[in-house]
Amino acid sequence: MRDLVIVGLSHRTAPVEVRERLAVAPENLQEELQEIAAAAAFDEALLISTCNRVELYATSMDPAQAVRTAKSALVSRLADSTQDEVLYEERGVDVVRHAFRVASSLDSLVVGEPQILGQVKEAFDAAKAAGTVGTLLGRCFTQAFATAKRVRNETGIAEGTVSVSSVACELAKKIFGNLEGRRTLLLGAGDMGEAAARSLRQTGTQLHVVNRSDDKARALAHGCGGRAVPYEQLAVELAEADVVVASTASPKFILTPELMKGVGRARRHRPLFIIDIAVPRDVDPRVGNMDNVFVYDVDDLQQVAEENLSVRAREAAQAERIIEEEVDSFVAWRRSLELAPTIVALRKHFAQIADEELLRARPRLEGASPKDRAVLEAMGRSMVNKLLHQPMTQLKGGAGEPDGALLIDAVRRLFALSDDELEAVERTTEATADPAVTQLTPAATGPTGESK
Amino acid sequence: MKAGLFIATAALYAIACILYLFQLTRGSDKGRRVPGTVFVSALGAHLAFLLFEAPPGEMPLADISQILSISSFGIGIAFLLASYRFDVTILGAFVAPLSLMLLLASGLGSSYAPVSPRVESAMLSLHIGANVIGLVAFALASVAGVAYMLQERLLRRRQLSGAFQRLPSLDVLDTIGLRAVLTGFPLLTFGMVTGTFWLLKANGSQFYVSQALGLVAWAIFAGVIVLRVAAGWQGRKAALGTMMGFVFTLLVLAGYAVRAAAGSA
Repeated sequence: MRDLVIVGLSHRTAPVEVRERLAVAPENLQEELQEIAAAAAFDEALLISTCNRVELYATSMDPAQAVRTAKSALVSRLADSTQDEVLYEERGVDVVRHAFRVASSLDSLVVGEPQILGQVKEAFDAAKAAGTVGTLLGRCFTQAFATAKRVRNETGIAEGTVSVSSVACELAKKIFGNLEGRRTLLLGAGDMGEAAARSLRQTGTQLHVVNRSDDKARALAHGCGGRAVPYEQLAVELAEADVVVASTASPKFILTPELMKGVGRARRHRPLFIIDIAVPRDVDPRVGNMDNVFVYDVDDLQQVAEENLSVRAREAAQAERIIEEEVDSFVAWRRSLELAPTIVALRKHFAQIADEELLRARPRLEGASPKDRAVLEAMGRSMVNKLLHQPMTQLKGGAGEPDGALLIDAVRRLFALSDDELEAVERTTEATADPAVTQLTPAATGPTGESK
Repeated sequence: MKAGLFIATAALYAIACILYLFQLTRGSDKGRRVPGTVFVSALGAHLAFLLFEAPPGEMPLADISQILSISSFGIGIAFLLASYRFDVTILGAFVAPLSLMLLLASGLGSSYAPVSPRVESAMLSLHIGANVIGLVAFALASVAGVAYMLQERLLRRRQLSGAFQRLPSLDVLDTIGLRAVLTGFPLLTFGMVTGTFWLLKANGSQFYVSQALGLVAWAIFAGVIVLRVAAGWQGRKAALGTMMGFVFTLLVLAGYAVRAAAGSA
């Protein structure tokens, strides 16, 4: 029986040094995939590669072997020092669940981040272009996209911002509305300050950089697409800025109430948003009491980010329920795929027995006329149909039930329907995947119905 | 029929109030447009009520009750225009209660006597019309002011989830406040001048509390505009001034209502 497997590594299992060795650039994805699929003889294959994960999805008639080949395909790209322990593997329905969770961003480093869905879609498109997507993976991933959409729409998993920089940007937007054309002043050269200034720059603000050391200011301004300004002009810059990001290493307050009062006169009541990312702080807390001046320090921002994260965690529980629903629906679809070949194989099996018995009886029926023989053949067929009628009805009715898989499995084992036999049928019916059941059903039971 | 329309309008405003407030405090993406839809249908019912009430071919400005009613309607329309321009639909949470309040006040006064038997005077109609539109503008400015105060408070107290997320940015609220006051002020000025002129002609030297209150409101708005334009006032202080001015304009109406009630008694 064909089954899904996945082998991969992610931020949960492997450090970035390992991940980056496996990562495949999007433009090479298709080529790489064709190579892997050809070498490993998978039925289907799909490769997801982002900065946080590399995962190989595949389907094969021999899942155990497929896992081994998939592993060796990935391990061969790693240096020999780190091996199996960073790779995880899943089989069967767990693969489906994993794919749904990845696409819905439940497995992401930052739960709810929006990029992963696009990356999975890219991977899917590459696999389609490489011709390595068939019925199973095709259905699995189209449903994963639908699931991700549901999770996004029905839960608050993507709400709120969860990094200090993005929280700072959100707040600035809530104060100034449109940030286009506003001015950000980056004071000092701390890493976090730089990150926040960069985020603000991306929203369309101009960036001015002031630092005690002019060289550092110039280097920083160059890196972020801003303008370096001499430290002596701090007061002028403060008067003109809309957002100030302070991240100096100064042990005492730089933005004091005295300084800001002077600046305030020149600002004429324009709102000023000060983000104090420095530890120890650069901004005297009293500055925050001034009219139209809003001061947030790193703890405030961190707290907002964490609150949003905990909201996401709550929403994730709701998202997991959606995932389970979708996994169930995938399993039901899968079972309907199994049902059709089982029914066909079962009928074929019985008809074969009847034919064989007729053949065996033939030598002893020398006196029988062709008409008698026809009656006997009809009787054989009719007996097969009548004997199968009830089991067929039960099988079709029960396949949709939760333990439907057991029922199908029981029938296969009771009548020793081998995988080869089923696979032969599956191949012929696969092209029509979903409608297969409904199309096959009347054909499989038609004669029974007629004889009643 | 008239009572039925009035009750339907009030009920729809009340439902819109609850839905808007729910959206502001709880808010979810589901049913985002529902409060707005209810509010628009309330405005529809209100319009029907106004048309029904007004004498054919005349504006429903005959008495203080109708003035309150049409002000309530006008605030709703001004809000719709503002949300079309600025994406501030959540301000309905403040507009809808105000509309409801004014409508109910107009209902209380349905027994009020007309302001004057000589409503046919064109100048009086102009006077009332200008004042009503001015009032509507100030109401919108004041709503933006209330939202500004709330939003700033949430920002300072670091309560950044919930309502803070759904309210517009401080900048937008301040802009609406400024523009609405700039629109309303000339109308109020015109209303003051014509009102005084008409008053002098009609009653000679008699002086009313309403005129005094109106003068105070006018002075406050003048102050707000001067400080905004000349001294660059923005934000909380400007919002406070605007709200104070609006309270005085409401007091003017209340003064009229009391006088009308006393006159009819």
